[in-house]
Amino acid sequence: MINELKLKEVISNILGVSINEINDDSSPDNIEQWDSFSHLNLVMAIEAEFDVKLTPEDAMDMLSVKLIRIILEDVQKK
Amino acid sequence: MVKETVGQLLTEIIKTPSDYSRVSREIEKDDLLDKINICYLSSYTSEVLNPFIIVELAKKGYKGSLYYAPFNQFEQEIYNEDSGLYLSDPSVVLVHSRIEDTHPNLIRRFAKYSDSELTNLSDEIIQRHKLMLEDLRRKSDAKIIVINFGSSQMIEEYFDSSPVVQSQQIYFQKLNNSLLDLCNKIISCYVIDYQKFFTGLGLDNCSDSKLFYMARIPFNSNAQISFGKIISRTIAATLNPTAKCIVLDLDNTLWGGVIGEDGISGIKLSDEYPGNVFKDFQRAILGLRDQGVLLAIASKNNLDDVLEVFEKHTDCLLKEGDFSSIQIHWEDKALSIKKISEQLNIGLDSIVFFDDNPVERDWVRKQLPNVKVIEVPKNEIDYLKALNESMYFDKLTITSEDKTRATIYQQEQQRKNDLNNSVSVDDFLKELKITVKIGVSNEVTLTRIEQLINKTNQFNLTTKRYTSAEIIKLIHDGGKVYWLSASDRYGDNGIVGVMILVKIEPQVWLIDTMLLSCRVIGRKIETVFLAEIMEILRSEGADFIYGSYLPTKKNVIVSDLYSKHSFELSDKENNMWKFNLNKNHIVKLNYIKVSINND
Repeated sequence: MINELKLKEVISNILGVSINEINDDSSPDNIEQWDSFSHLNLVMAIEAEFDVKLTPEDAMDMLSVKLIRIILEDVQKK
Repeated sequence: MVKETVGQLLTEIIKTPSDYSRVSREIEKDDLLDKINICYLSSYTSEVLNPFIIVELAKKGYKGSLYYAPFNQFEQEIYNEDSGLYLSDPSVVLVHSRIEDTHPNLIRRFAKYSDSELTNLSDEIIQRHKLMLEDLRRKSDAKIIVINFGSSQMIEEYFDSSPVVQSQQIYFQKLNNSLLDLCNKIISCYVIDYQKFFTGLGLDNCSDSKLFYMARIPFNSNAQISFGKIISRTIAATLNPTAKCIVLDLDNTLWGGVIGEDGISGIKLSDEYPGNVFKDFQRAILGLRDQGVLLAIASKNNLDDVLEVFEKHTDCLLKEGDFSSIQIHWEDKALSIKKISEQLNIGLDSIVFFDDNPVERDWVRKQLPNVKVIEVPKNEIDYLKALNESMYFDKLTITSEDKTRATIYQQEQQRKNDLNNSVSVDDFLKELKITVKIGVSNEVTLTRIEQLINKTNQFNLTTKRYTSAEIIKLIHDGGKVYWLSASDRYGDNGIVGVMILVKIEPQVWLIDTMLLSCRVIGRKIETVFLAEIMEILRSEGADFIYGSYLPTKKNVIVSDLYSKHSFELSDKENNMWKFNLNKNHIVKLNYIKVSINND
């Protein structure tokens, strides 16, 4: 299982938005700071924080908090 | 209050990118740290280093404000006096042109080159840096930090004992030597050893191909942190005045034991452990002296005991004559340091104090807060590390500046004799031998056009997004969609520009979209793109062209595009510009070759 709070903290730290503003549906579409550049920062931070290695495809698909969680759970299973 | 918050934050454990990102945001709110402007010129996405540099600089008392030039814009930024570099008014300019980015074949296909080709290439690379760095030196007072050539790819999967890999390594060593020679001749220009950085980290700790191929980021987050540390340390070293003098204690600092108790034959100072630790520390202290650092002693001892060691102890490398000031008595050490400062006529802030006794250190800190007190570790094995990590003697010493001054004077003379030395942006672009091709969109080019329309943020006048279906409809409704491809002496960039025109009245056109990929920003391609399209429209009988600039956070770079190209402001509120094809002069460039694609 993914530590939900930790994930939100990472997103909040990288994007500079308050943790209360982050929910499952948060995505580049509704968070202005989540642009392509900060997306890569987010990917790097997630890798470091959850000690996983993501493929380029994983990185590109992580386009909402929900998707990040699903992909992370998937990667951790492997 | 603020200072305390940031200070407190900095003492926390900051380890992961997420930590760095959070703390760097807090630092940006602080207004008590010393603010410094820094410009980062590089051939890759250096902006990714920002949180790491910000936090590491804050640990050294600085609040960095960084301007990251768009990648690969070295000449454009340096030669153009109105560039972002000079606008950012930097105290420090970092220059990092990675060989992997500029000459990928030197990394991947080294064996294809002949010896003479290799020599020509290295001459070209050094000459390019020479022109850039000398011009930067003329135009700015900033400290220059050059990051030398090296590559994680060189320590990658290749077989180390292969003769090709070995000669490649020698080649890069020579290239780095030439670069160092060059930088040493330029005042306040320093070099960071990039290859050493990678070798020190180890391949597993520094590379992430995903980041490179997806975003031109040449190292993983772990290496970004380390690189941020090195960069910040170097920046701080160039800004901090180097300490001029080190004041040393004696017992348990320059030798083990207490001379007054153990006697000359009892102190630990020899070629065997633990005496060799102290002997080596003495050697390092002499190394500082060699670089022009003044040595002094503040010790509570009997003077005669000490002088006997200097005279008679064969393993005592330091001699009485090596010290510029000696304070050996039983009085207070703060007083000793004050006397040293008066004797040598140097400020207390340029004095470093090294003493194994924590009580003495505390006392000096309280009495003389300006003196730099090194936190000496308990075990003598770590003394040298503490001395080096203090960074107080990191900078090039005054003596070596003096040494180079003569050379710089000579350079100045030569420069005056050779006025052609200065390079203009136009000259540089001419050398690039850019050619562009312009065509009308068709099935083959549509995908690329759609891609550019939807991802280009910087050089994009209106930032309108369209799907390919919408583009087709636009054409169907009478609009014109043009693409532009560009190539230069380094290769073909493919399609990098799009312009969409819609007819708003008979013989009146509106530039609905105009964009260029960031790959070709700064090459004046927009000028020929506009000129060519205007000529086409004029030949078709058009009278007016309108264009608007819709500002976003990212497209400041095109805010003055229309005014630069002789458009007249027609509607200030909507930022609408107008060009009269029958009257206004079309701005042209003769050194970019244009052809029209007729396929």
